[in-house]
Amino acid sequence: MLCQVCKKREVNVHFKEIIGGEVRELHLCDVCAKEKGLGESFFPSFSLPELMLGLTKLEIPPSLGKGPQCSGCGISYEEIIKKGKLGCSLCYQNFTEYLDPLLEKIHGKVYHSGKVPKKGKKEDRLDRKVYELRKKLEEAVRKEEYEKAAEFRDELRELEKGGRK
Amino acid sequence: MKFQAMANVTSRWLKGDGPEAGIVFSCRVRLARNLEGFPFPLWAEESKLKGVSEKIIDAIEKSKYLKNAHIIDVAELSSTERRFLLERHLISVEFTKGGRYRFLATEKEEMLSLMINEEDHLRLQTIFSGLQLMETWRLIDRVDDELEEMLDYAFLPRYGYLTACPTNTGTGMRASCMLHLPALVAVRKINDILKGISQLGLVARGLYGEGTEAQGEFFQVSNQLTLGLKEEEIIDHVEKVTHQVVEQEKRAREALLKRNVIEIKNEVGRAYGILTGAHLISSQEALDLLSKLRLGIGLELLPGFNIQILNELFFLITPAQLQIREGRELTPLSRDQLRAKLIREKLSKVR
Ligand SMILES: [Zn+2]
Ligand SMILES: [Zn+2]
Repeated sequence: MLCQVCKKREVNVHFKEIIGGEVRELHLCDVCAKEKGLGESFFPSFSLPELMLGLTKLEIPPSLGKGPQCSGCGISYEEIIKKGKLGCSLCYQNFTEYLDPLLEKIHGKVYHSGKVPKKGKKEDRLDRKVYELRKKLEEAVRKEEYEKAAEFRDELRELEKGGRK
Repeated sequence: MKFQAMANVTSRWLKGDGPEAGIVFSCRVRLARNLEGFPFPLWAEESKLKGVSEKIIDAIEKSKYLKNAHIIDVAELSSTERRFLLERHLISVEFTKGGRYRFLATEKEEMLSLMINEEDHLRLQTIFSGLQLMETWRLIDRVDDELEEMLDYAFLPRYGYLTACPTNTGTGMRASCMLHLPALVAVRKINDILKGISQLGLVARGLYGEGTEAQGEFFQVSNQLTLGLKEEEIIDHVEKVTHQVVEQEKRAREALLKRNVIEIKNEVGRAYGILTGAHLISSQEALDLLSKLRLGIGLELLPGFNIQILNELFFLITPAQLQIREGRELTPLSRDQLRAKLIREKLSKVR
């Protein structure tokens, strides 16, 4: 078998990845394997997910044409799709209508529910408070400190009732 | 050549003292973060990359966790030196290509490090020995909190942390475990296991060899999704699935022993014989034999054998590690000689 990248040398390194039941394989010669960081080391490099995901083709929405440019970085949505990478943080606001379906396709969801930075706008800070309380609550439950946990739970309810939406 | 001192010190996470370290080599959490007001590195001009690196280095110098970190300008390194850092899991393949204003910061024990201007402005990572992903997350969470007080992270409540690649948006987190699964490979169950992992919403990947020459019995399990889940939920899920794989590997090891003890003892014993007797050895042969020895320890066929020395050897014998240790470029023949000598010395100390 010939190497998938150079199509010249014999294959010596096999890389396999399975996502969502789909198997992807790379068969490479020693030279190309080394190039991709799969050389003589025994371990698959931690950065390979990005390498493989980079091979995924993203689709350009038909409605887009040449498309508008981001006010932050000046890059068009078409260029972003070609490279598979966004230009700057403002792209997320400028291209929301295209990004939502894309993110949904990748993650199945479009709303963040994890960590929130401590500083930032007033609403963000409230989110952070909720985030920290939730963590304290989980910790208390883990340590079986139920009185404390009940306190955190009440506080959390109060916050969620008052501050948000 | 740089890093000679570093090459003589083992990364803290290689010590093999974590839970289930006989099967789980290491676990890692990495966070992707970007600074508000700067384009992502792929599209940024040098002046912007410079601005980003200055802000982040300034924050590192004030950080409780990172203030003593070694800051390395990747552009100044030779290809062997970059390869050396790649093998120690300190930089990515992307980063080995170099470029101006790309920096690595790593603390002494190499458990905590960060890359500046990789795909994102900041890639923070923690690596621990064995299966202790929640601990690994707790440390990186604290460091991230501290850096965030000094830096303006790009964040939107709706999308979370904003990253260059939409596959990282949200938590910006990738949590992974590196597993050694020689018995599951030997009893030919590995493909079913990998498929099972992927059906649980995780990614399984590995290098594998052809036929008898087991090229890599190492596999990585990591989360695929980063948006819509809490960090602890992701960590917990990866940890639970990894525990299940560890149980499967243990069962496969028992099955192997029951099936044919003599054959396995023979293979492990021969591997030990060659490794302790060779005066010239290629990295490929050494890796294959070390993998057998590691399985032998797992099966308790080598009493008194310490897994840490084996873990170290997997790393120390690659061409990049050998050359950095020696402080000069070496011919393949002298590498094979030096490798054999190193293995003999290390293994003689084991028993
Ligand atoms: Zn090739
Ligand atoms: Zn933009």
